[in-house]
Amino acid sequence: MTWILIAFRNLMRNFRRTAAIVLTVAIGAGALFSFAGFIHGILDEYRETTIHSHYGYGQIHTKGYRDSAYEDPVKHWIADWPRLSLFLAGQEEITSVFPRVSFSALIKNGKTTVSGHGEGVDGSKEAEFFTTLNVEEGETLRDQPRGILLGKGLATALNVHPGDSVTVIATSAKSILNDRKFTVAGIFHTGNAHFDKNVFRIPLKDAQELLKTNTVESVSLGLRHLSDWEKAASAIEERFPALEATSFDELDKIYYKHSVDWLNAQFGVVRIIILGIVLLGIFNTVSAAILERKQEIGNLRANGESVFEVMRLIVAEGAFLALFGSLFGIAVAYAVLMGFIDQGLLMPPGPGQTRQFLVTFSFTWPLVLETVLYNALAALVASFLAGIKIARMPIAKALRSSP
Amino acid sequence: MYQIKDLEFSYFLGKEKIEAIRKLTLDIPGGSLIAITGPSGSGKSTLLNLLGLIEPPQEGSLRFLGEEIREMGEKRKNEIRKSEIGFIFQQFHLMPILSAEENVRYFLTKLGLDGKSIGDRVEEALEQVGLWEHRKKKPSELSGGQKQRVAIARAIAKKPKVLIADEPTASLDQKTGREIMDILTGMGSVLLTTHDPMVQAYAKIQYHLVDGQLI
Repeated sequence: MTWILIAFRNLMRNFRRTAAIVLTVAIGAGALFSFAGFIHGILDEYRETTIHSHYGYGQIHTKGYRDSAYEDPVKHWIADWPRLSLFLAGQEEITSVFPRVSFSALIKNGKTTVSGHGEGVDGSKEAEFFTTLNVEEGETLRDQPRGILLGKGLATALNVHPGDSVTVIATSAKSILNDRKFTVAGIFHTGNAHFDKNVFRIPLKDAQELLKTNTVESVSLGLRHLSDWEKAASAIEERFPALEATSFDELDKIYYKHSVDWLNAQFGVVRIIILGIVLLGIFNTVSAAILERKQEIGNLRANGESVFEVMRLIVAEGAFLALFGSLFGIAVAYAVLMGFIDQGLLMPPGPGQTRQFLVTFSFTWPLVLETVLYNALAALVASFLAGIKIARMPIAKALRSSP
Repeated sequence: MYQIKDLEFSYFLGKEKIEAIRKLTLDIPGGSLIAITGPSGSGKSTLLNLLGLIEPPQEGSLRFLGEEIREMGEKRKNEIRKSEIGFIFQQFHLMPILSAEENVRYFLTKLGLDGKSIGDRVEEALEQVGLWEHRKKKPSELSGGQKQRVAIARAIAKKPKVLIADEPTASLDQKTGREIMDILTGMGSVLLTTHDPMVQAYAKIQYHLVDGQLI
């Protein structure tokens, strides 16, 4: 008869008490598991939104470009774009490539001229991948000849609608003013007033013609999986030492990374509160149970069991309670959440976003393991604290105590 | 078996200091049933606890099989209590979740014996106390006398050098108490405390304590 079996059978001494502890642990585990699943669901959704709103999984620039301001930025763009393009096309983990340029420009409609910030993009490809732009009027930029997608603020200032013409005037790389006529394809808004008042998008080729350059400023990437980023970035930087690849969470540090950190910190606090409640619940019940067993523990000690051996028995009981409670709590939480709200919860727009989004509970095996481990830790600490005083009590005193 | 010289032990009851054992000097031989008697508060249970290594001597000398107990570490004392001393208590202290057989078996598993030796010892001990038939029963299914027999079987299965029994018949009726004493007689070295004249009659040697001193 091993101590582990004795610990297991000790759970059957008082079924109601064991059930009460298992229920306490189960409620804690269920709450932790649900909340963790919810937070992971939000983070997953938020990550996807960030990736598919602007940055892709990451971007390529020339080294140091992102952190510096230049008098003539075009000179610091990616000059060897054709070779880079060929290389990227040969990487199996890279599914899409989005070369871009950006520039300051004037946009003119009749007598009205406003300044804006232009982006030259591959409209058709980007429309498939970047799906979060809110197009209020017209349609998004695809392969319309000389099409332009205007921010709502710009469109209002210019008083234009889809189908109208505007003239974009920009300074080329050789400091010569160029202009091109474009037809408004659509009008978008992002919720960011500054962005909506300034930004417009035109096809990459038109932008390059305006700027008289064949280079690209940045290249956003689509990948097979999120986990492919490291491999892809390393391969690019190894092959093109003058370039650097930056992941989306670094590019969107202010909104994405800080939001993730903030949500995780919030979850950490809630987790501490839940585990504290679980710990106190178990401590109370286990303390009562152990007090009733003082004489028995005294007998174990009298017969040569060390404090360690007695504590091992008590803590093993706590571990069993934690295991059963956690698995029960997780199973019930999973069944309830998947049974009743498997389509997800509608959430208001997150920081820096304009759309409501559905959060589905994201449950994974590591999350199950993490929940069990945290609850086990709480149960073990509670059992240890409840048991150590009795285990270390003088043997004669324990034997003399009332049953 | 025990050599005691100028042994002292005191404890506090609230703010009052109780001198339970006072300058006790005594040689306790092995091989026979010895009763420690005396009125309540005379120190007999304290002496038994000292002899069982479950209270530490405070002053004087207490030797068990030639070894000075005051010089032993906790580990050594655990070893001795595990293998060389068998305990029988008034309240039996059986584990309620285990059957009679499992209660006897439990402490044997700590002695490093192989499975067959453990099985043989369990059977032998339960046969000796006449409970082999009831070996599958849990303590809750046994009478008081049967529980005490399981406790005796548990103690003798270890084949200890000495059996220490604190009021082993106090919770039992006279008839059952006699049966228990019949079992304990002939178990080799047995040290027990008692108030009961019937139990005292079984003892070959009696030490009578009053106020922590031999009379």
